Amino acid sequence: MKTVVCYINQFFAGIGGEEKAYQEPYIQEGCVGPVQAIQAALEDAQVTHTLVCGDNYMGSDTEKAVARILELLEGHVPDLFIAGPAFQAGRYGLACGTICQAVQEKFSIPALTSMHPENPGVEMFRQKVIIFQGGKGAVKMRADVQTMIRFANKLLSGQPNEGAEAEGYFPRGCRHEKFLEDKRENTAAYRGVQMLIRKMHGQPYRTELAIPAPEQVPIAPAVSDLSHAVVAMVTSGGIVPSDNPDRIQSASATRWGRYDISGMERLEAGVFKTIHAGFDPTAANADPNVVVPLDAMRAYEKEGKIGRLHPYFYSTVGTGTTEAEARRMAQEIIPHLVADGVTAVILGST
Amino acid sequence: MKLKIGSFPVEQVRFGEVDGYQDGILTIQKEAALAYLRECDDHITELDIIIANPGDDTRIVPVIETIEPRCRTDGRTLFPGVTGPVASAGEGELKALRGCCVTVVGKYWGSFGDGVIDMGGEGARHTHWSKLINICLVGDTDEEFERHEQQKCNHALRWAGHRFAEYLGKIVRELEPLQLEEYDFTPVSEKARQNNGLPNVALVLQPQSQMEIPGYNDLWYGWDLNKFLPTFVSPTEVMDGAMISGSFMPASSKWSTYEMQNFPTIRELFAEDGKHLNFVGVILSMLNVAMDQKERAAMMVVNLAKNLGVDYAIVTEEGYGNPDADYVRCQAVLEQAGIGVVGISNECTGRDGFSQPLMTLDSRLNALVSTGNVSELNHLPPCKTVIGNLEALNRDGMSGSWGYDDKLGKSAREDGSVIMEDNNWFCGDHISGLSLKTMAEF
Repeated sequence: MKTVVCYINQFFAGIGGEEKAYQEPYIQEGCVGPVQAIQAALEDAQVTHTLVCGDNYMGSDTEKAVARILELLEGHVPDLFIAGPAFQAGRYGLACGTICQAVQEKFSIPALTSMHPENPGVEMFRQKVIIFQGGKGAVKMRADVQTMIRFANKLLSGQPNEGAEAEGYFPRGCRHEKFLEDKRENTAAYRGVQMLIRKMHGQPYRTELAIPAPEQVPIAPAVSDLSHAVVAMVTSGGIVPSDNPDRIQSASATRWGRYDISGMERLEAGVFKTIHAGFDPTAANADPNVVVPLDAMRAYEKEGKIGRLHPYFYSTVGTGTTEAEARRMAQEIIPHLVADGVTAVILGST
Repeated sequence: MKLKIGSFPVEQVRFGEVDGYQDGILTIQKEAALAYLRECDDHITELDIIIANPGDDTRIVPVIETIEPRCRTDGRTLFPGVTGPVASAGEGELKALRGCCVTVVGKYWGSFGDGVIDMGGEGARHTHWSKLINICLVGDTDEEFERHEQQKCNHALRWAGHRFAEYLGKIVRELEPLQLEEYDFTPVSEKARQNNGLPNVALVLQPQSQMEIPGYNDLWYGWDLNKFLPTFVSPTEVMDGAMISGSFMPASSKWSTYEMQNFPTIRELFAEDGKHLNFVGVILSMLNVAMDQKERAAMMVVNLAKNLGVDYAIVTEEGYGNPDADYVRCQAVLEQAGIGVVGISNECTGRDGFSQPLMTLDSRLNALVSTGNVSELNHLPPCKTVIGNLEALNRDGMSGSWGYDDKLGKSAREDGSVIMEDNNWFCGDHISGLSLKTMAEF
């Protein structure tokens, strides 16, 4: 019988939530928590062990966590490794992606996981790991496990992979040929002419090779009258109040914060700092105004060069953050700006 | 221009005392055919005809060319400028033996552009040829200058194949066909007068022309396409033997002469002509290697299209790699000129599938048909019969096989099993439009 080892986090292992997020990895025989659903769906394979690790431990001490997990797996190397499902949980998604990739590379066995499309783990690992498209939360556990294990059963019994779309996992940028049924409608000639006809009529068609469009945002026109402009400051430089109240991630951010600066002349060191992991923070921590230039903007405000400064600044971290996440965060920030009549934004990068 | 093709379905090919065709059975007087072909070209030193049927446990390698046996009822040579003097093509009547092909095979030696056909087993699905009765013309020549060259013109054997196709076609010259196909190509100005409101569509063909030295490239009325500039031609000319295939290009990306005679994308455009579109004809371009040649060809294609009032186009290339530059550029400038395009070609995504699919990319290309991946690895069991020489896979620099690989070993093993890339299937990606393959994310 084929063997499977599963990976879950502290929450799904039932040992605790945030307070147990620094749990070090351990291995246990048999199924733990949702792994029972995985076992039930497997046709001819046995889950021999379940690995458990706290999300924060994996996120903050990744190298150590991975090394320990690989060590725990020695002697129990299965035919297939399954992590998650991670749903929309960002840290769990990153953990699942990280460990799947490591297990694949170390033991040359397939590894599968499942995540919601907005989980940052998707963008980070989709090219390296087979990630099934999953639901937002644990309410989708049954469905997500079914989809993933349908493929696992195929893989374990040597049946052919029907491709990312048919199986339900995120495209990896891995393109192979596929044979179609032998009939005229499937010939390249017929497909080409019919695609052209649909294109002519503005009807939907599907290119068989999608060429990624380089997305370009046009540069905004100049602000004609700055003296009446309401200016806001937005940054991907990770400047936050020192206790990082919104717990914005240091990399691959999915969260952003909005911080009141009314009555402040400048951002004081010690009160604000950067949590950005992608650049040397020394200068920004010594003077946060180098990233969010509140001091200079206040001066312009006094001089009448700008109308007024919007009373909040907005912050997230840009490093490793996917385009999709960045777009979503912008869309969440924009209504706040519009509500206050902001007419110009300074985007402080790093 | 009106081209009629009378069809004679072939269900069985056998050797006999007299050439003949009756009730789907084609009989060939073998010795007479061989004597004729030897007499036409004294460079041929060995020649044989071997029949391979669909489903046979047979591997054919190195395959040089496939051709549909046909003749012109008016006596004009089948391939003007090749098998006889230059003469006009595109109008008149052909008779064609359907369901079979002349398959030209090197008895001992192969070259870069030669390929493999498996008639049965797993390998059969990789080519259209496994569905046809292959009338294999297997031979050797005294073309010593290229015996050990990776690139071969294969002139004597290729020309023998074209002559043989006509020789066989003539067997039915006086007979009544079972079916008659008609391709009636209305002149562009006449189409404009009819003003039926349908969009004008042209097919842009990019046949193989990369070799600078004559003798390897596709020919147009016998003219080497390397010394050519984009020209407007009738689709019926292509189908009537004006163009023959060359010897250069990895096998799976080639269009054989059989595919040119039956050009599937031309046939599908004819099928829609007057219904959803006006098929205004073929813009025949080429695939030369220098950047200015590529740019000149693209510009001329676009200007021809504009001046013909073309609204939409299909672009297809005979090749991959360097030719992708022509394929992508031509489509991009057509789109830029407001002419909507569909492209048909194969991809090269590597054995692991992660490589960039075309050599260059342009986001203006938004409608592409993919016909296969040249670099897929094939593990093939031995076949009972080999027509040709399996050793060519190891020795002769065929594009999808090798004589040494420290991990995979050599391509053709002692037991007759084979490991090779898709590159080696003869016209396997059937870019001409026969392909039943697509590409998908895995």
